[in-house]
Amino acid sequence: MTSKKKPDHYNCADVEKLAQQYLDNQLDEEQRRLFNEHLDYCLPCDKKIEFEKKLKEIVRLKTRDKAPVSLLKAKLSKMLNDLS
Amino acid sequence: MVSEKQKEFSKLIEPHLHSLYSTALRMTHNQNDAEDLVQDTLYKAFRALEQFQKDTNFRAWVFRILVNTFITAYRKAIKQPQKVSYDDLEEFFLYKRLDETVGLQETSKEDFLENIFDDDIKEALENLPYQFRLVVLLCDVEGFSYNEIANIIDAPLGTVMSRLYRGRKLLQRYLWNYAKKRGYIKDDFKEKA
Repeated sequence: MTSKKKPDHYNCADVEKLAQQYLDNQLDEEQRRLFNEHLDYCLPCDKKIEFEKKLKEIVRLKTRDKAPVSLLKAKLSKMLNDLS
Repeated sequence: MVSEKQKEFSKLIEPHLHSLYSTALRMTHNQNDAEDLVQDTLYKAFRALEQFQKDTNFRAWVFRILVNTFITAYRKAIKQPQKVSYDDLEEFFLYKRLDETVGLQETSKEDFLENIFDDDIKEALENLPYQFRLVVLLCDVEGFSYNEIANIIDAPLGTVMSRLYRGRKLLQRYLWNYAKKRGYIKDDFKEKA
């Protein structure tokens, strides 16, 4: 009967399972609270999550290319003119 | 004579040209193809503008067109999903590998991430099977939510999550391989036996 009961606390396995959703802000308020509570007292999990956050940020920052925006705007403009 | 529709379209689309191009470049691997893909997307988006429901998410709508255009144009070129074994793709793969590396302190792990070359990250991303790459780009680079991505790629939420998590794990494995190849893991950071 207790298996479906919502946990009062998260353990390391819960954190590992929900880590990606946490990083993507996809947990509901209660899940997020339990997750953060675990991070507050579990240094190894906190370090792992901080590392994942940083990696996600690095992927975002290091894959942005300079885009030829002026060229694309010119192409857009030409396309719209041709269509008129 | 520029019509109201054209003016409206330019105003809506211009803030997204950079993102569209950036995603197109990661998907097509080269600048000319990326420009063509964006141009085709702009054309289709303009033609379909009446179908866009105002007050809904224009950015997600136009990315959906980009993705459809990419898949249609590259259907033949897109390789069949590679047979990748996911069994050994554990959570926190990269962190755990670095942690097993003797002498690598927390600050060094952060430094490791800072020092990864942009080109290595880009190459690692581009080596992901395209379904995974697309979802990782949409989430981690473009910041779309799971629901928005499900809508953009026209797949259930569960598929989005599974592709995203597998894609990220695979990316971590590639980055670990680059780290070893590039010599980030130096002699005094020998892996534990």
